[in-house]
Amino acid sequence: MTVLETKDLRKTYGAGETEVHALAGVNMSVQKGEFVAVVGTSGSGKSTLLHMLGGLDRPTSGSVSVDGRELGSMADEELTIFRRRKIGFVFQNYNLVPVLSVYENILLPIQLDGREPDGEYIGQIIDTLGLEGKLKNLPNNLSGGQQQRVAIARALAAKPAIILADEPTGNLDSRTSQDVMGLLKVTSARFGQTIVMITHNEEIAQMANRIIRIEDGLIVERR
Amino acid sequence: MVKVSNGRCVRRLGLRSMGAARTRNIIAVLAIALTAVLFTSLFTIAASINYSFQQQNFRQAGGDFHGTIKELTWEQVEQFRTDPLIKEDFARMFVGMPTDPPFNKSHVEVSYMEPDAAPHYFCAPEEGTLPREGTNEAATDTHVLALLGVEPKVGAEFTLSFYIDENTKDRQLVTRTYTLSGWWSYDSAVVANHVLLPRSEAEELCALGSGDPYSMTGVWTLDLMFKNSLSIRDDVNAVLANHGLQGEDPSAENYHRIGVNWGYSGVQLSNSFDTGTLLAIAVVLLLIIFTGYLIIYNVFQISVSNDIRFYGLLKTIGTTPRQLKRIIRQQALLLSLIGIPIGLVLGFFIGNKLTPVVMSQLSYKNVFVSFNPWIFIGAALFALVTVLISCAKPARVAARVSPVEAVRYAEGAAGGKRGERTAKKGASLPAMAWANLGRSRGKTAVTVISLTLAVVLLTVTYTFSLGFDMNKYLQNKADVDFIAGSASYFQTSGMFGSEDDAVSEQIISDIDARSGITESGRIYGQTSSMQQFITEDWLRHSWEGWSTPEVLDMMVDNAEKVGNLLADRVTVYGMEDFPLSLLNVLEGDLEPLKDPSKNAIAAVYFTDDYNSTEWGTNYAKLGDTVTIRYVDETEYFWRDTGEVIDDPGILDSYSGSREWGTRSKVYEDKQYTVCALVNIPNSISYRFWGADQFIMGAEQFVQDSGTSSVMTYVFNTTDESEDAMEEFLSEYTDSVQPMYDYESRKIYEAEFEGFRGMFMTMGGALSLIIGLVGVLNFINAVLTGILTRRRELAVLQSIGMTGGQLKKMLIFEGLYYTLLSLAAALVLALCAGPLMGHALGSVFWFFTYRFTVLPIIVTLPVFLLLGAAVPLLVYRSVARHTIVERLRETDA
Repeated sequence: MTVLETKDLRKTYGAGETEVHALAGVNMSVQKGEFVAVVGTSGSGKSTLLHMLGGLDRPTSGSVSVDGRELGSMADEELTIFRRRKIGFVFQNYNLVPVLSVYENILLPIQLDGREPDGEYIGQIIDTLGLEGKLKNLPNNLSGGQQQRVAIARALAAKPAIILADEPTGNLDSRTSQDVMGLLKVTSARFGQTIVMITHNEEIAQMANRIIRIEDGLIVERR
Repeated sequence: MVKVSNGRCVRRLGLRSMGAARTRNIIAVLAIALTAVLFTSLFTIAASINYSFQQQNFRQAGGDFHGTIKELTWEQVEQFRTDPLIKEDFARMFVGMPTDPPFNKSHVEVSYMEPDAAPHYFCAPEEGTLPREGTNEAATDTHVLALLGVEPKVGAEFTLSFYIDENTKDRQLVTRTYTLSGWWSYDSAVVANHVLLPRSEAEELCALGSGDPYSMTGVWTLDLMFKNSLSIRDDVNAVLANHGLQGEDPSAENYHRIGVNWGYSGVQLSNSFDTGTLLAIAVVLLLIIFTGYLIIYNVFQISVSNDIRFYGLLKTIGTTPRQLKRIIRQQALLLSLIGIPIGLVLGFFIGNKLTPVVMSQLSYKNVFVSFNPWIFIGAALFALVTVLISCAKPARVAARVSPVEAVRYAEGAAGGKRGERTAKKGASLPAMAWANLGRSRGKTAVTVISLTLAVVLLTVTYTFSLGFDMNKYLQNKADVDFIAGSASYFQTSGMFGSEDDAVSEQIISDIDARSGITESGRIYGQTSSMQQFITEDWLRHSWEGWSTPEVLDMMVDNAEKVGNLLADRVTVYGMEDFPLSLLNVLEGDLEPLKDPSKNAIAAVYFTDDYNSTEWGTNYAKLGDTVTIRYVDETEYFWRDTGEVIDDPGILDSYSGSREWGTRSKVYEDKQYTVCALVNIPNSISYRFWGADQFIMGAEQFVQDSGTSSVMTYVFNTTDESEDAMEEFLSEYTDSVQPMYDYESRKIYEAEFEGFRGMFMTMGGALSLIIGLVGVLNFINAVLTGILTRRRELAVLQSIGMTGGQLKKMLIFEGLYYTLLSLAAALVLALCAGPLMGHALGSVFWFFTYRFTVLPIIVTLPVFLLLGAAVPLLVYRSVARHTIVERLRETDA
């Protein structure tokens, strides 16, 4: 089943001489349960691609559909609500809310949606990510790796159709990186979670099921 | 330490980093300007009061020159003039004085004045000129012209009779007719009125003098201005010393009389500000410093914590803590350079507007707004000091930052000590907003305090003016529409002692001729010598507050005695029926007073400010017999022998050791029965502290004392004619009988409203400005709170917070600030209100504390609006950038 699909996705910044084609017609699709890595050098357009996939930015032309819904057709408010239900984010610098505890951070997307969290499921996530002892802590008291685990838990909590991870190990040392990647892989497997991760690190990318390489706004290689 | 010339580099850093913080700069400039506004308006008001006080003193002293060398000949004048110490000098030659009616109640001096001196004597002609040499011209003021019955018109002729050698036995009346060359308005604060003559005319008149060495006619005085007024006495003495004279020891040979203008002296200056006023000024100063501190500190604290990475970076590359402090201080000074001048100008205007409001409550006749440069210097200094105090701590924080930690520094890290949150239920929008407030508790506290301060101040102002109780204020005033009496009776230290102060029958009939008077009556005052006889105990009791035990013993020994009773002074009123009806009868009945054959008298007991009777203020009880001695003649006698001194003149120069005294020689003792104990309202009593007081019926008083000096004429009018009567009296006492004055219910009410109005205006203005400071602080807190969290807010949106939810959270934050302030104000009002009310009640006797939270309730909607609108507006500017743009923002 296709969870994510783009058609001739283009994004252009600026105009005239300063025109930059960040994305120059990207066509890709991701199946349910896949763990895909998008690899590219800095400036290749991979971050732009991720923002388009997550509905954080709107394409100049082309379309993105997630879980069968076309993002471009949704108004801002609708898109936000769709995003919190269907898309989870993991950022390079974790982006946890500093005034909320670990537990509150994890529940935040569900509560923003006004839903009751599924206690058992949340328990499993916490268990899987090894966060039991840290639930009351504030993010600033955690190490980078721990913070990223919380971010992953937060992304998982809403049972999204897809998790988009933007350089999730970019701020971590290599051992912790391996650790976090392992967790991503495990969660993908255990919860059947679709994950699209972008990275510039080939070694990290190797841990995904599939690698998409992007250069100058175009997909150059699929594997 | 090696001195390195890095000032320029540091300065450049300061300037550049300042350019990056535009919003901070605007808010800081506004905050500094508001602080300077507060200081400047306070100083303007204080300086204006002081200046007006000084001007009033100059008018009473006769002029505004620093010092005077008196009793000179023209040759001496010319000698002193050359003295280098003197900056300016003006010579004046005294000619004479008119003292016969109509001038018997005025002090008028005829003299020649050098033209430059006239303004210093407040004699600058408003119309026309000073008299020209070689003419029969003269210049004078409207008061002298009014007494002469001459219209103030240049060219008018007037004839003046006055005495030369006025202070000697051989005084000589001269009469001259002059042409009016110029006139100026009479200023009631000026004691002496002048008639100015040309020098030739003055010298001609002086030549007629007897040449008596003590005569003032033909005598010159030289008025001096020095570089400053700091040491006038020394300066005058120095001038004298240059000519081998001195002005301190009258018994020495080379003594010469000098004058020092007391209007300038420090004693007068300090008198104008009593301790209470000084304390009030100090409190307001501290309040302003605190208010200014609250916001300026907050602005810098916030800006430093926002820029902490920048400071960390600077430190990493080798900027010393001292240099960091200097960068911040420099920014503060630069912002002050813009903010303070703005504040000075605005503050001066506000002060100018408020001064007359304050002055109207002080009994000054002339209001001057001072434009003293010290106002601006002082206000600027105070504002600068406030700025420096305020940015000291933020500068320390920046200086102390560790380069490594600075990179990781995030707002709220300071609160990370607890590191845990115990909420079980997860996050809700209100809870998140609350937690956000807790990130930087200092900022939140300062913001809340500054908003609270404004609300509390407003509440105090309102409570204060609400508590001003008209009934209490009027309760010690007699329940009468009008009181007419001599002007001196109504002065603050009211006087009534001679027939000159009495209301003439002419005035009474002028008043009675008006329509609408319903009730009226005379109160006779005591102008002859009377004594009463009291016990030794009572004598000691009534004098002990004023005298040492030794003096008391002496008074007891020396008092004239009848049996075992001692003579003492007494104060007696005679009242017609209407004023009698205004008394508050404590015991007994006033009826017997109306029948002179009954020899009845009422004893007066005083009340305190709160209108309760002080029973220790008289000794007479109902039914007691009081003896009053009417003394017609007294004699002097030697205490040792009792021998009468036939010629009391010898006592003037007596320097022996024999003691002498006075005693009644021709007198009549009369006994009265106390028929009532009464309170007398302040407004119709003798307005000074005196002896025990008694009241007789008018007939009895006139018959027994043989005097009939009317102290006050009191009367009621119909409501319709009250305004007309007010207008008549105002006009009448201004022009026809300027020595007389009146008080009316309207005046009391206006006085009261004026007083209340002053507090309302001052308190309102202060609350408004401090409120502005609070709101500015709030805007700054919200603004920086949102701007620094731009990225975090974007994250929240990316993980699914809708715009609406985000706005809601921000609005909650805003509302928490404002509602917390109101709650704090409410708590303060509840706890401190009654306490403050009690304190105010004991200072202002006409204050009744009434609990009120109305100002807080009124501010509620304003604060709700503010709390919601400010975050929304700020967010709108943030939301212009897309989530991706905001997410991309680097941390640096």
